This record gives sequence, structure tokens and C-alpha cells, in this order.
Amino acid sequence: MPLIGQLAYGVKHVLELDHPKHNLVVYPDDTFIVSFPKSGNTWTRFLIANLLQLEPRITFLDMERLVPSPDGQARRFFKAMPRPRIIKEHASFDPQYKNVIYIVRDPRDVIISGYNFLLKGEIIDESYPYMTFVDEFIRGIRSHVGSWGENVASWLATRANSPRFLLLRYEDMLSETAGELKKVADFLGLQVSDSHLSEAVTRSSADNMRKLEKMHGDNWAQNRHMKRKDIPFVRAAKAGGWRSTLPQPAVAAIESAWGPLMSKLGYELST
Amino acid sequence: MFGELKYILKYVTGKDLAGRHFATFPDDTFIVSFPRSGNTWTRFLIGNLVRPNEPITFLNVEKVIPDTSALSKRDLKRIPRPRIIKSHQFFDSRYKKVIYIVRDPRDVVLSYYNFQRKYGELEDKYPFDQYVPRFIAGDLPGLLGWGSWGDHVLSWLATRHNSSSFLLLRYEDMLAEPARELAKVARFLGTDSSPEALTLAVERSSAENMRKMEKTQSEGWVVTKGRRKDIPFVGTAKGGGWQSKLPESALEEIESAWGPLMKALGYDLMRNVSPALEPPFIQLEDWAARHTQPASETV
Repeated sequence: MPLIGQLAYGVKHVLELDHPKHNLVVYPDDTFIVSFPKSGNTWTRFLIANLLQLEPRITFLDMERLVPSPDGQARRFFKAMPRPRIIKEHASFDPQYKNVIYIVRDPRDVIISGYNFLLKGEIIDESYPYMTFVDEFIRGIRSHVGSWGENVASWLATRANSPRFLLLRYEDMLSETAGELKKVADFLGLQVSDSHLSEAVTRSSADNMRKLEKMHGDNWAQNRHMKRKDIPFVRAAKAGGWRSTLPQPAVAAIESAWGPLMSKLGYELST
Repeated sequence: MFGELKYILKYVTGKDLAGRHFATFPDDTFIVSFPRSGNTWTRFLIGNLVRPNEPITFLNVEKVIPDTSALSKRDLKRIPRPRIIKSHQFFDSRYKKVIYIVRDPRDVVLSYYNFQRKYGELEDKYPFDQYVPRFIAGDLPGLLGWGSWGDHVLSWLATRHNSSSFLLLRYEDMLAEPARELAKVARFLGTDSSPEALTLAVERSSAENMRKMEKTQSEGWVVTKGRRKDIPFVGTAKGGGWQSKLPESALEEIESAWGPLMKALGYDLMRNVSPALEPPFIQLEDWAARHTQPASETV
């Protein structure tokens, strides 16, 4: 970073206007919503935000305030947040995070979503060789949080037996949304009625989130730096798309890299 | 406020501690372990192997194999590539090539207890029976950022134990057969592994030699400078001290916390461990099977 950039950062730091990112001050009563990117984290944040507040109706900006991301709000914001806080993360295992809800998704679907995300950010374009992308995905080349396998294994190996760790599968959340959300509410110690629960599910539907993204999406921290506005952030919101979309060599490569871990998670192997 | 300004000045000039967030390069190799697991000895062994012209001392080790928890971001930037770097960090995906040293936690707890008293992180008379549960929970001053012993080991093994860029060493094997284990390191680094080179490195890095150097050089090493001298940094340099020194209750607590993991690493347990404690999602048995092969068969 050039000196002037560092000085500007210094000024921001004094005023606590910089995003904390990996320097977030963590408290033992924080709960972290953790997942590898493109695994349903934003949807989960929407669901939780709707548990915390029904009126006024949750937008992308409200969600970023109620379940903030360390690269989406200023340090000052995190400091002023009432505790216990609920915070979004993508990090691999971190012993500072004492309460963790971890969302895992079939990597064969994650990779499809990851590809769209790279297109949206104009990191690559449609002419990029697909198998090169697949190889890079498996090795975690563009990821700051490890490969899919590293991220998942780092959390499960260390925390799977802990009562302060809740593992959710994105696929179960899709098929049994209210039931899985109830687990989340219990883990967070939130008392919510069945009708509140089902209202939260309705308001966080993919259709509704697509509408909300059209309203405020461009002002949302996550989307602001994304170059291509023609590709939405909220995508198919379905499971098993890989069966029709993902080329066979890509399926084989992923299953050979992470087969045992996928099987443990209940993702049936096809090769 | 003054502290903040000092931090910012340090940040701007690159003098803040490297810690977990310094710039890494794809050709870096990391020597990683939980604290008190033979990391400093390994640095001496490897330093003496890759730089045979000048014996490694406490005065030059930070230039040859720098320590992320002792040096600044700027210091690390100035080390010529390819770098070999020492770290106590739990899993970090940016570390692409890793030599991981593991040591029997029943010995680690004894060594770390002494170390923390040396550093004043713990009162001198802090009762050991109160120390053990905090050690197991990873709830100790200084340990805060590193997780517990089990967290540390599992975070690395679960993510990397099948990778060809990951070399797992047991401290106990290094003590028993230092030249053989160092030969594995040499092959991993692609450096000279002739018997002469290995023997020289092992001799120069002996516990006796390191103790002598510590006596005359401790004020010149960033890690021991200004610290009390009655507890030496170079510890017993032995494996199995726990058998005579560790109280029965501590043994039970440690084995029930990490029994399955210890067993997978080849550390014999003194008591039976419930199978319900088996850590899920990783198959360390694979590693154990590979590890017990004779050294000549492992590549």
C-alpha cells in the first residue's frame, strides 16, 4: 500500500471508520454465522434478521445492520452494537469464535454459484477455460478463507462435538426451512412463535429477496464494488443444479478431491 | 489514544508485529507447531542444514528462520526468498507449504506451565491442578490467539494431512532419530540430505549446545531478552517426562479431552477412552498407517 493510502487508513482508524475485517474485536458472547462463500449465508442472515425484527420490513441494508459483516460495517459500528452480537463470517476455523452456526452446501453447487460470482465481479469472463477455473476452485486459489474442503474440515474437526456449534446443511434449510430456522432460534436463545417463524420464512423467500435486491441491492456493501449489474447476487436458490449444469469432468474432480468429507456430510457421490 | 497513535505509526512504517496478517508468498515454507513442541530446535536443525557455512545461534536464527510472533511485518518483508518462517498459528490457508511438529500434550502441558511462569504470564505459584483445565480449554493468557492444543493440531491435520505440501513430524521421533527425521525435512525442502550434512546439523543443534548458547546469548535474542534466567528457554528436550511428573488427575483430564486424537498420533493412552469421543469428519487412521511405514518407504 502506498504511504498516502496508509496515512488515509491511519486517519480512518483513529475515527474508527475503517472496516474491522480480520481485526474485529471478538467477545465470548458473540455468535458467528459462518460458511464458505456462496453457501446460503446471506439467506440465513435474512432469516435471522426477520427473527429479530418483523417491522419495519427487513431490507438488504437492515440485514447488514442486524447481522453485520466485518467487511460491511465500520469498527465504530461493531463497538456500538448491543451485545450479544450476531456476526457474519466466511473465515476458516478461528478459536476466538465461541458460538458458531456453520452452514455447509454441496460443493458441486457451490462451484456453480462461485463461477457466477467471479463473472459478476469481472474477475474472469465467459471465455475463461472452465476446467482451469475448476482446478483453481479445488485448490482454493482465489479464496481468502481456504478451499471449500479446508474451510469445512477446519470447523468440523475442531467443533463438531461442541454444544456451542450448530451445523446446518443448506439443502436441509431449503427442504425444511421452518424446522431448521427453529434450530437457529433455539441456538440463539430467541423466543419466537410458530407464526413469527413462518412469517420470517415467507419474507426471506428467494422471490422476495430478488425483489429486495432490485430495490437496495446497489447500495448494499457486498454488491457496491461488483462491476456487472446484469448478474444478480440472489441466484437460483436451489439444490442439485449441478446434476444438469456441471460438466462431468468437474463433478469427477470435486468428488475425487473431497469424496470422504462429502460422504460424511450426506452428499451422495456420483462417480 | 496515545496507544492508538503508536499503533498507527507502527502500522504505517510496517513495524507492527507480523502475527497472523503479514504478506505471504507462494514459495514460503512454514515451520508450524503449538508452543513448546520442539519448534525452536527444529529451526536450529533446519537452519544448520540449509546454511552449513555458519552455525545457527540465538543471535542469527531470526534472520535465517524468522518468527512471526517476534518480528515485524517489515522485518519479514526483508528476508530473502524463498523464506522459511516459524509460526505458532492455527490453520492458515495462506501457508501453502508446511512442516508441522506435534508433541505429546502430556509433555506440552508441563513445558508450557514452566514457560508461562518464565514469561510472567502466570504467577509463579499458580497451582498446576488449576492450570490443566485451562490448558485443555485453551483459556490461558498468551494462548488466547492460538486455540487449545487439540484445536491447533486438528485444524492443521483435518485440512492438510493428505497434502504433499504438508510434512508431519512427531517431536518424539525427532528425539529418537534426529538424522532420519531431518532427512525427511531435507527431501521435503529439496535440499542436501547427505549423511554428512545431516550429522553436522544434528550436532550443531544438540540440546547441550543450545543450552550453552542460551547462557551467553539470551540477552541478544528477542524472545528471551529481559526475561528471568532461573527458568531456561531450552527445556528438558526429552519425551515422556509426564510419566514421572504429571499428576494422575491431569493425565485423566488430558486423555479424556484428546484421547482419540492422541491415539491417532501414536501416543499410547494410560486409560480407556470412550469411542463416543472419536473426532468425526477426518480419518486420521490413514495418516497413522502411512506414518508407521519404515522411513525408506516414505517419499
